[in-house]
Amino acid sequence: MRARAMWLEIKDELLGILREPTALFFSVLMPVGFFTFFAAMFGDTWNDAGTAMIVPFGTFGVLAVVLMNPGIGMADARQRGWLRVKRVSGIPLWMTLIAKVTASIPYALAVLGAITASAVLVGGMQFHLGEVAAVFAVLVLGVLPFAFFSLAIGSRVGTNAAAAILNAILMPAAIASGLWFPFEMLPDMVARIGRALPTYHLAQLAMRPLDGGAWMGHLLVLAATAAVGAALALMAYRSARL
Amino acid sequence: MTTVLTVRDVRHAYGDNIALDGVTLSVEAGELVALLGPNGAGKTTLVRSIIGLLQPSAGSVRVVDGSPSQAVVRRRLGVVQQDVGFPTTLTVREVVVGAAARAGVDRSRAKAAMEEMGLSGLAKRRASDLSGGQQQRLQLAMGLVADPVLLVLDEPTAGLDAASRKAFWATLDARRRQGTGVLLTTHIVEEAAALADRVVVLHQGRVVAEGTPAELRRTLPGRRVTARTSVPAEVLRAVDGVVSVAARDEEVDITATEAEPVVRTMLELDPAVSDLVVATASLDEVLIALTETKEELVA
Repeated sequence: MRARAMWLEIKDELLGILREPTALFFSVLMPVGFFTFFAAMFGDTWNDAGTAMIVPFGTFGVLAVVLMNPGIGMADARQRGWLRVKRVSGIPLWMTLIAKVTASIPYALAVLGAITASAVLVGGMQFHLGEVAAVFAVLVLGVLPFAFFSLAIGSRVGTNAAAAILNAILMPAAIASGLWFPFEMLPDMVARIGRALPTYHLAQLAMRPLDGGAWMGHLLVLAATAAVGAALALMAYRSARL
Repeated sequence: MTTVLTVRDVRHAYGDNIALDGVTLSVEAGELVALLGPNGAGKTTLVRSIIGLLQPSAGSVRVVDGSPSQAVVRRRLGVVQQDVGFPTTLTVREVVVGAAARAGVDRSRAKAAMEEMGLSGLAKRRASDLSGGQQQRLQLAMGLVADPVLLVLDEPTAGLDAASRKAFWATLDARRRQGTGVLLTTHIVEEAAALADRVVVLHQGRVVAEGTPAELRRTLPGRRVTARTSVPAEVLRAVDGVVSVAARDEEVDITATEAEPVVRTMLELDPAVSDLVVATASLDEVLIALTETKEELVA
């Protein structure tokens, strides 16, 4: 019974994403558009980097999906009173939260696929399928802790405010973490802050299949992010005005 | 008879504002209890306590033998809430099938519930596109899908036209005959009086009256006297049994437990009294008089 209910919760969330095309614009087109734009401008200089350039833009892409989507969906459901219906229905709290997070996985994969496809179309980049698959796996799993923060915000504020707050977190975090520009191009202070952000550690962990660098520290930061995010999401949801 | 809802000495406050002040009530299997009261009486807070959305500060709420704070107990409830908007992305069928899955019952129950509420023809429509009345029926279909032991309906017929309301009540009546307990809040007092086995009047967080509609009419200020008279309102208010007096120019509208002392006083002080009408107060008038009286007492 629980498996069926869980599947239907996830399916409802996925339908919510697929049937709301405006969400697709910001979550898919924006990161893909940025990637294509930068690839068109600097593609020649990226040739040596190859797959590595997928990492920062892919990180931004999955962050855009996982940070924005669950929180805005949560705020909308709460504002409508639909969350109240779900809570009264007897569905466990964790099922509602997990469904929202899980539904963002295929969406994040679609964004990564679109970025890869645009990279192929723009041309001039070298890919290794195994490496790309490994980067995708790290990004899709590593980004999930951010969904908890999204849900926490969506449990406390209205739909418009949630979109504004989450954007206000996403954009500066992406820039400070070096996802759009290398650290060398950023002011020292911003770079120092950026290196402390979990978004930076996600990007670094995603680089691991390509450069074989250290990973444990990044993983620990993401694990701590997940623990703090989950606690905040649970507290926010439990005290949310439904 | 099985008691499907027991509310015992429930208290709750929002800061300094006391919403519920020791409410006790029960609903038996197959019984329809109407919860009446003016705005701010505490009805919605009580309903939220019963459906597990709110943990009251004190007292207990039991649905059969479990607390509604437990998910497994809430699955035994069918609920129609106020101000619920459906997701723009789900169809009627998806909403009811989802309710069946959450309640842990077979998918076929969703189809039966949609048929029962006359929604089969709308199964493929987006739920958010339905009219207000259709959305209320959809909520009830979700509530009925798991054959609940108790239906909790918060203003369920608000926004329904007369025909839809009649159909809605017919469904409830059928369920009640099958043994489902029903607790409903409504502003349509006469409708509640016609359908309810018992009426509970809530005012300022307290139960101020309880009984069958007939008992309430009998025991509460049940006579209404209207007339044109020069007798001042304050004199009429002092007459034994008078509960409320509304006066405008020389027209007075009096609610009282008995009409005779009022009429006698008016005739003694004003032989020219005219347009004198004595009527049995409706339950609506009883409710208004009762809550106004309590306000005066509190003040």
